Amino acid sequence: MLRPLRILLTALISTGVTAVAEESVNYEEHIKPIFREHCLKCHGDDEQKADLNLQTHAGALKGGSGGAVVVAGRASQSLLFQSITDPDDDARMPPKKPMIPQAQIALIQKWIDSGLRETSASASMVAERDLSFKPVANAGAKPTEPIMPGALPELKLPPMKRPLPVLSLDASPWAPLAAVAGLDHVRLVNLESREDAGLLPFPEGEPHWLRFSRDGAVLMAAGGRPVELGKVVLFDVKSGKRLTSVGDEVDAVLAADLSADQTSVALGGTGKLVKVYDTATGKLRYKIEKHTDWIMAVAFSPDGRTLATADRAGGLHLWEAASGRPLLSLNEHKASVRALDWRADSKLLASVGEDGLIIWWDVKDGWPAITKADAHPPVRPPGSHGKIANGVLAARFDHEGRLCTAGRDQKIRLWDAGGKEIQSFDITGGQPLSVALSHDGKTVIGGDTAGQVHFWEVNATPKN
Amino acid sequence: MKWLTLLLALLFPATILAESVPSFRQDVMPILFRAGCNAGTCHGAAKGKDGFMLSLFGYDPAGDYHRIVNDIAGRRINTAMPERSLLLLKSLGKVPHTGGEIFSIDSPYYRTLHDWIAAGAPDDRENVPDTTGIELSEERLVFEGGTQHAQLRVFAHQSDGSRRDVTHLALYHSNNPAVATIDENGRVGAADAAGDTHVFARYSRFAIGASVTVLKADRFVWPDPVANNYIDRHLFERLQKLRIAPSEPCDDETFLRRVTLDLAARPPTPEEYRAFMADTSKDKRAAKIDVLLADDAFADLWTSLWAEQLRVMGGNYAPVGTHIKAADTFYEWIRRQMREGRPLDQFVADMVTASGSNLANGPVNLYTMLVHKPRIEPKPLAADFSQVFLGVQLQCAECHNHPFDRWNMDDYYGFVSFFTGLSRKPGAEPREQRIYWDTTRPPARHLVDDRAMEPKVLGAVEPVEHDGDPRAALARWLTSPENELFSRNLANRIWAQLMGRGIIHPVDDVRVTNPPVNEPLLADLAAHLVDSGFNLRSLVRDICNSRAYQLSSTPNDTNRRDTRQFSRAYLRRLRADVFVDSVVSVTGMPRGLGGFPEGTRAIDYYPRSSGGTEGPNFGDDVFKCFGRSARGSVSSTETKSAPTVSQALHLSVGDTIQPRLQCNGALAEYVKAKTPPATAIEELFIRCLARKPTGEELAGFLKLIPESPANTQPYEDLVWALLNSTEFMFNH
Repeated sequence: MLRPLRILLTALISTGVTAVAEESVNYEEHIKPIFREHCLKCHGDDEQKADLNLQTHAGALKGGSGGAVVVAGRASQSLLFQSITDPDDDARMPPKKPMIPQAQIALIQKWIDSGLRETSASASMVAERDLSFKPVANAGAKPTEPIMPGALPELKLPPMKRPLPVLSLDASPWAPLAAVAGLDHVRLVNLESREDAGLLPFPEGEPHWLRFSRDGAVLMAAGGRPVELGKVVLFDVKSGKRLTSVGDEVDAVLAADLSADQTSVALGGTGKLVKVYDTATGKLRYKIEKHTDWIMAVAFSPDGRTLATADRAGGLHLWEAASGRPLLSLNEHKASVRALDWRADSKLLASVGEDGLIIWWDVKDGWPAITKADAHPPVRPPGSHGKIANGVLAARFDHEGRLCTAGRDQKIRLWDAGGKEIQSFDITGGQPLSVALSHDGKTVIGGDTAGQVHFWEVNATPKN
Repeated sequence: MKWLTLLLALLFPATILAESVPSFRQDVMPILFRAGCNAGTCHGAAKGKDGFMLSLFGYDPAGDYHRIVNDIAGRRINTAMPERSLLLLKSLGKVPHTGGEIFSIDSPYYRTLHDWIAAGAPDDRENVPDTTGIELSEERLVFEGGTQHAQLRVFAHQSDGSRRDVTHLALYHSNNPAVATIDENGRVGAADAAGDTHVFARYSRFAIGASVTVLKADRFVWPDPVANNYIDRHLFERLQKLRIAPSEPCDDETFLRRVTLDLAARPPTPEEYRAFMADTSKDKRAAKIDVLLADDAFADLWTSLWAEQLRVMGGNYAPVGTHIKAADTFYEWIRRQMREGRPLDQFVADMVTASGSNLANGPVNLYTMLVHKPRIEPKPLAADFSQVFLGVQLQCAECHNHPFDRWNMDDYYGFVSFFTGLSRKPGAEPREQRIYWDTTRPPARHLVDDRAMEPKVLGAVEPVEHDGDPRAALARWLTSPENELFSRNLANRIWAQLMGRGIIHPVDDVRVTNPPVNEPLLADLAAHLVDSGFNLRSLVRDICNSRAYQLSSTPNDTNRRDTRQFSRAYLRRLRADVFVDSVVSVTGMPRGLGGFPEGTRAIDYYPRSSGGTEGPNFGDDVFKCFGRSARGSVSSTETKSAPTVSQALHLSVGDTIQPRLQCNGALAEYVKAKTPPATAIEELFIRCLARKPTGEELAGFLKLIPESPANTQPYEDLVWALLNSTEFMFNH
């Protein structure tokens, strides 16, 4: 007889203020009381400092003399939220008072993120988004025959103390083939036999970025030697021949990509510049000078229209690929962006960074459609305090819109098209640095700091 | 280059060369420190340099390991081919490097870094002993004639009990290269000038010094002066070693003026002058000191000095608790303690533990006045607190371990937590603020790892035990006789007030690398202060009775260049407030000070404003001109004694001296009664300078002023001239 009562009690307890379900947070019931307690004296009907009146829902939406204070769906970009959470005592609202209690801040955050509802009956003001993945016809330029390397010439490797960390790797989109970064060379691996399929010379130095072309016929290797030289080299996968090389940089290239039509290479590094070269002539087509820190990732969209570039300070921008004209700035990362990748339909861009975020951006309007904070939460070593590194270092989509990422938690994680985790894989003995999914989506390939390449089978059934 | 390599190889203990895998924390970090990589001007800057950041002086080894090895794999460290690591290429200057070439390819530093990378750049977080202290092979070096060089060796003591030679990894500097130099390998050399100084070695988060004395080879005869008390014994022992003869004792006139200015903050009156000069008893100087110490003026002067130190300022702006009414409450409380001869340890403890109303409870204003801010800010409060009561500047350790002292970030944040619970709430009226300890406030958090730091006294390992408000424990530790930092700080400040310079100077910059010029003297002064029950008058009496205090300011051949061993009286310009009070005393004319009643002495004056009290405030302009502390900070350097052009102009045409010579004729009345002119001139000399004119001076002035004193105009000019003399402006 006790049991129903117990359930009822549990239900009552769990609907306390702090546990309001996201959909039901609304202005009248939850937010106005908070405003009344902390804000309305200066920003209400009686007084409107900075022309801001939070006494009504309409007033809150209208904002003040500095413009809107709330952005539906994005607390992080809302002035109201920023000003009540500012760590600077002198800048934070309410002035000269301790911070508003965390539970109330969390409610305000939920209210903004869930779409600024006025009452529980109101609709969310965040637009519905169609994130569904529909393969575009031949987006990947599938070749008639999967391209595999032939018999490549022997290559004498430099004497090495140990293998170079796998700074980068990539899988051919159409063939059971992977390319793995090595010292002064690139190693090709047959994914069926998991044996070497040949070595490509890269005497320029360390390959920091490897990318197969959309048809799998060309391999781009970008890198160089630190503070000495940087280059991007294109190889013919079948013959192993160098097709061309572009860039004559004074430092190693840290990020590069080959456009879908193979006419352009974008590259960047410590010079804080993104340079886009014409692969046919080797000439510079345009430069992007907006970034304030080292360029850490660049990526052309599969449809060839857009170029995404990101830097070590968290800056992330979209450009018209043909001209370098600015399109959008995607502000969310608080630390270095480490990788960018486009979904095959060019609708979503994934970015990952040292701030532990994975973001799937809707590039139509630059909206963070899915945000995973602490996507790779590291295990805290016993007895340690403070922040521990939780960065995400690499990210790569497959044909199906699934994303795999490598993080400082020594794991590689696989996410479905909706941002739900499917599976994770452990790496021991090193830190995962690079990741890719095989052409058939069945194998996850990961490279680590010890220079090892790991292979895992993807489970058919998603993880709970 | 070859000889250097050879030398370094000799310096390197063989054990280290033989070790196969260098340790990141034990071998690599010290090289980054020694080579200057993590200095503030290079990669140790807050944002790093050229995209690469290291923790300043290596306070965060775990973070540095991450930045070097894991931040961007394959770049700074190349474990496949170590010699291609950017870290090495940059150090050699093989690739463009703002810092240029740091060391050569055959240096042991390169070898260590290379071998560490070749071993896979391993981390050693778990199993590496911590450095617990360092030791120098010599504590004292004396150079005389022949020997001109000496090699210092530095040893690190480690938490596993081992001792390691780190001579090749330490950084060196000399406090005075004109006397002794020290090179990058710890080799000390005597420079041209004779004198004494200290050389220092720094390793890990420690600094350690050795004293160096450089003597001239010429003949020196120690005059063997009689020591009045323990002070002289310490002083003379030091001077004899340095071959400096102290000056002769000063004459009675000079002594009387000196001690009256120092203890009563005014020159002696003609009556005092005559009585003292007529006194023939042997102990008349000691008797005079006792009379002055018993006078309220002594207490009032020290009230003023404490109020300046504690930044007492009042405003008409009420909300932040520093209203004039609160300042008055504080000031009068301090005055009561000084007049009653309250032991200084209790005086300080009362302030440290105070709670309650700023208007009713004077000592609680330590927490409204020390940091004039709208809120109580624990960090500046902790820094100012330690600077005032310990003479230690802790604030460096907010962001990194103190590079020139023993304080680390644990010390800093543990100390800050003594103040994190301090809160204030409005009282019954707008001017009132109630200071209380809020037990719900969390302690300070460590900058590096965000760990909560419970209140902990400086140098301790464990936090203090307390029942909610840790300030009682802080006061107990602070004022305990065992806490030498406290007693030495008080003794040094009292000494500096009377001798014109601290034994540690500046008095509020106590650190390993700024050692006392006479350690036994400071230690003994502190011991006497403790033994007397922290009695201010007792220590002042000891100092004033010493031969050292009573030395003449006239130098001899051996002490002409001495500016820090107290071998003669150093000339001291009068403090701004003592100067104003002296002019008033000599002319008999009060000087109004804004906001205070007519007749208020300058030493009873503190700055008041019509608004808030945050900014520096001199109060009356004369204090700005003569460098009284504007109380913008607790720093002792706020009080200035340097002469300036504006002071000269103020003296000659300003409103302090000129109007006091004429108005209402007090001086004229005085002069008129003294005839003939020679008597009047002598009287004015005594009144202004506490001495009789010399025969030459008298004859000269008589030529200029033949008239009888009935015409007072020329005598006003004479007073003007005397007050404009450097003799009047200085305590000599």
